[in-house]
Amino acid sequence: MEQNGRIENPMISMKQVKKRFESDGRVKEVVDTFNLDVKENEFVVLFGPGQCGKTTLINLIAGLELPTEGEIQVDGKKVEAPGPDRGVVYQTTALFPFCTVMGNVEFGPKSRGIDKKTRRERAQYFIDLVGLQGFEKSFPNQLSGGMRQRVGIARAYCNDPKVMLLDEPFGHLDAQTRYMMEEELEKIWQKEKRTVVFVTNNIEEAVYLADRIILLTNCPTKIKAEYQVDLPRPRSYVDPAFLKLRQEILDNTDETL
Amino acid sequence: MKHMNEKMEKTLYAVLAIASFFLAWELLTAFTPAGETTPGPVEVLRLLFTSFFEPIGKFTIYGHLYYSIRRVLVGYVVATVLGIIVGIAMGTSRYAEAIIKPLFELIRPIPPIAWIPLVILWFGVGELPKYTIIFIGSFTNVTLNAYTGAQRVDPQLIGCAKMLGTSDRDIFLRVILPSSLPQIFAGMQVALSTAWMAVLAAEMIGAQEGCGWIILRGSDTTNIPLVLVGMVVIGVVGLLLATIMRIAERRLCAWNRMDV
Amino acid sequence: MTEIEKKKKRDKIKFTTISVISLCVFFGVWYVATAVMHLMPDYSLPSPVQVVEAFFYKLGNKAPDGGTLFQHIAASLKVALTGYLLGAVIGIPLGICMAWFRRIDLFVTPLFDLVRPVPTIAWIPLMILWFGIGLGAKAAIIFVSAFIPCVINSYAGIKQTRPVHLWVAQTFGASRTKMLFTVAIPTAMPLIFTGLRISLQAAWTTLCAAEMLAANKGLGYMIQLNRSLARADLIIVGMLTIGLIGTIFSVVLGKMEKKMVRGGSKS
Repeated sequence: MEQNGRIENPMISMKQVKKRFESDGRVKEVVDTFNLDVKENEFVVLFGPGQCGKTTLINLIAGLELPTEGEIQVDGKKVEAPGPDRGVVYQTTALFPFCTVMGNVEFGPKSRGIDKKTRRERAQYFIDLVGLQGFEKSFPNQLSGGMRQRVGIARAYCNDPKVMLLDEPFGHLDAQTRYMMEEELEKIWQKEKRTVVFVTNNIEEAVYLADRIILLTNCPTKIKAEYQVDLPRPRSYVDPAFLKLRQEILDNTDETL
Repeated sequence: MKHMNEKMEKTLYAVLAIASFFLAWELLTAFTPAGETTPGPVEVLRLLFTSFFEPIGKFTIYGHLYYSIRRVLVGYVVATVLGIIVGIAMGTSRYAEAIIKPLFELIRPIPPIAWIPLVILWFGVGELPKYTIIFIGSFTNVTLNAYTGAQRVDPQLIGCAKMLGTSDRDIFLRVILPSSLPQIFAGMQVALSTAWMAVLAAEMIGAQEGCGWIILRGSDTTNIPLVLVGMVVIGVVGLLLATIMRIAERRLCAWNRMDV
Repeated sequence: MTEIEKKKKRDKIKFTTISVISLCVFFGVWYVATAVMHLMPDYSLPSPVQVVEAFFYKLGNKAPDGGTLFQHIAASLKVALTGYLLGAVIGIPLGICMAWFRRIDLFVTPLFDLVRPVPTIAWIPLMILWFGIGLGAKAAIIFVSAFIPCVINSYAGIKQTRPVHLWVAQTFGASRTKMLFTVAIPTAMPLIFTGLRISLQAAWTTLCAAEMLAANKGLGYMIQLNRSLARADLIIVGMLTIGLIGTIFSVVLGKMEKKMVRGGSKS
């Protein structure tokens, strides 16, 4: 277990970040004094109970919300607005319902004015990578939940971000599909390494995917502990070392309401 | 097999119903005093048939159709384009909303038909007043729907597009516009049937040609077969326009239906 | 009070001000263009002041169209409500029967679809020829315009009933008639109300057209007659009255709907 060690030249760096929301005259502290550095191509999982603060952390790094105090840098640049250097995959996919699978995946490159041939090739590569060949012309409402998440991942990847932010991407899937998608994501990530910040409240998912697990407290969100996961990949859910780490983290986790 | 039987049963009943309707109509007009004021279906059909080559007033039925449809299309297309722009502006900009909405709410409750006298007073009896009335009839529906459509765009989609590096102009063209398309189409469908109704009213009140004029002419000369011919033609065209819109909607908004 | 709330309040004040300014500019331009610059002759576009004067004049005077404003309103309301109530009283049960009884559905629905595409306005001349230009003809036209949305919506409402709910009722041993009243009609209530609202608007619009074509009283007649007299001030008074009454109708029905449907959809 290592505690808040700062890393040299981090891809993501959050310094003394605080976030408060105000509503009905009450101030709600959501993120409290958050310090985190993420190395390039590191797979970091933010794991914690409850509904509070995790999505906010993703939105802060994405630049969709700004911190009340503190600073966030991605690749040495201060985050002030959303941008194509960061790709987000949401729990509810947020695919463009009026675009086909191809239209969704090539949305980013098209926005940046990349010519049709290049972006089509690129989009096709990622569609194949997530295993959706043959569904290029389908609309999101014709796909199953797991397939939609694959599109979401391909869309984020296709824009070639430096950082991938995944906000409980498999939270709405059934258990079976969830295991399958975790394996898929690991394979994709092995093939196309990126810096990943992955939010979940599922402990197995966390241990299965992470290089490093950040255990969060419930409301306001703070770092409670960090765990380096050095198990060899691909991991097995029934490996004794896997189960031991899983139990250790769970014992240290706050009770959820 | 059950499915086939149900379909056949449905068709059978429909044919039976319509046949008995026409038979009852024919018998009633042939053998009761109702025949003195109302023509039978055979008479109406005969007149409908001849009206394709014998002119009513200045034109055959084709000429009247041409005038009515042209009026509807001009007013409707202008209203649709303007309505989409104004509606989306109101739905996306709070300034546009604050400026336009009170004026819009002031005018919206007045039915398009109530504009006819004022519009005739302003523009006389040419084509312009008809275009204007049809414009008014279509504009409110399209605007209102584009407005709610643009308001209801999922903010997460806009966030997503921003994350992918989409410019503001592209967000409008590639996210907001397509997102509100189903709603806009719903407005356009209502607007088209309102426009079709408005053209009839306009033609009944001040015109020398068009489908509305045909029934008014029939009424003025107590020629009931002509009135009924007019109604049949109007009904068929109305049905065709609605069908065209439905097909277009199916094509353009395929992504919005769950049962594709 | 927090920063965000302050900003919200500031925004609200700001945008309300813009709205008020927008209305003021509209009436200001109208006033300047007519009363000051006389861009259009009074008989085709009077100034807002003249419209207000015409309104007060019309409250007590019968000239030039043979009735005070209230007499016209009363005449229009009488026709509209007669036709509307008839349309609702006949249309809603018919729609329910069409959806609930298979044979009626099979037989009546094609006939209904045959008649439906003809806009109500096109019925006006036929109704006048059949019933003359009295209350009967106009009530008949309004009846048609109100009847159609009532049938369509109550039909769709009943068809919406979920089979699961019917199965539940069946396991309690409910008869088919009982299921209609305890399950299907409550399910259909919201759509029946939508039908009532749409048909009231349709009735009111159609009434204008009917009165323009054949009447000697009523708001539609008032604006049509004042057109031939080139009295734009009275036309605008008539139009605004028509719009206002239409708005009152939809507000009243909206309130009723809130009360009725809440009870209906819960059971």
